[in-house]
Amino acid sequence: MARLPPEIRPVLDNGTPAVMVTCSADGTPNTTVISQVYYVDETHAALSFQFFSKTIRNVRENPHAFVCVFDIAGQAHWALQLAFERSETEGPIFDAMEMQIEAIASMTGMSGIFKLRAADIYRVLSVEKVPHAD
Amino acid sequence: MIPGKLVRFLEHHANVAFAGTRDSDLVPFGHRVSGWRVGADHRTITFLFPDEFHARLLESLQQNGALAVTLEEFPSHETYQFKGRFVRHREIQDADLENVDRIRQRFVKSLRPMYPHAPEDVLKRFVSPPSLAVDFEVLEIFLQTPGPGAGTRLVPPMDR
Repeated sequence: MARLPPEIRPVLDNGTPAVMVTCSADGTPNTTVISQVYYVDETHAALSFQFFSKTIRNVRENPHAFVCVFDIAGQAHWALQLAFERSETEGPIFDAMEMQIEAIASMTGMSGIFKLRAADIYRVLSVEKVPHAD
Repeated sequence: MIPGKLVRFLEHHANVAFAGTRDSDLVPFGHRVSGWRVGADHRTITFLFPDEFHARLLESLQQNGALAVTLEEFPSHETYQFKGRFVRHREIQDADLENVDRIRQRFVKSLRPMYPHAPEDVLKRFVSPPSLAVDFEVLEIFLQTPGPGAGTRLVPPMDR
């Protein structure tokens, strides 16, 4: 199991947009923009489940996921390989994500559209910082 | 066939893209896309990938051909996902570099309000120079703009 480095924490805490790639059981990849990657602990991240989407269906039939976080200030991308573990609909992680997602929605003009249904908890399998080319 | 409205979106409005592939164990991987161009037949799109996101790209495409690419206009969040099959790959040509320059300018302009004091070269570096072109046949297109319609298949229409 990999550990999230301290350097990634402020990137995640800033609510930077990210992209997630999943794969269905029949082998079709799916990419989607996600508004939040929440730092749970050194070995876990949580992603917001807002809509009944292909992504949600995919990770429940194939737990592997790839997430790329855009770190514009750090001039890099962060590439994370994750494995879906469980979904939480209440508790401290859910409450913190719900508060953060309301703030993101307000800042991006998406109030009333973003609504947290669950906090999906993933184990971190690998993490890599990909610097921008010079 | 890519509808004319989406061709215009791709050519004039989309400013960020990300591709997804998967390996033989169904493990997904992501690849930043620096540029794109719709084919004259309106059935194919050429995607331009930077060096730092080549890992596992060609290996996966040549093994199973499956590719999905999400393109977004930031900050409006108008977003579409294109799914289809790998056709071929080739080296970068001069026209590809000009294409990426145009998209880079569009992207930097969209970021500027969020980063008013960031140096121009820092923002420009976010769209890396391409080093590989991949031709892709579009089989399905999905609406992904956040909201209740997200996930709706546009091409072919849902009732087919």
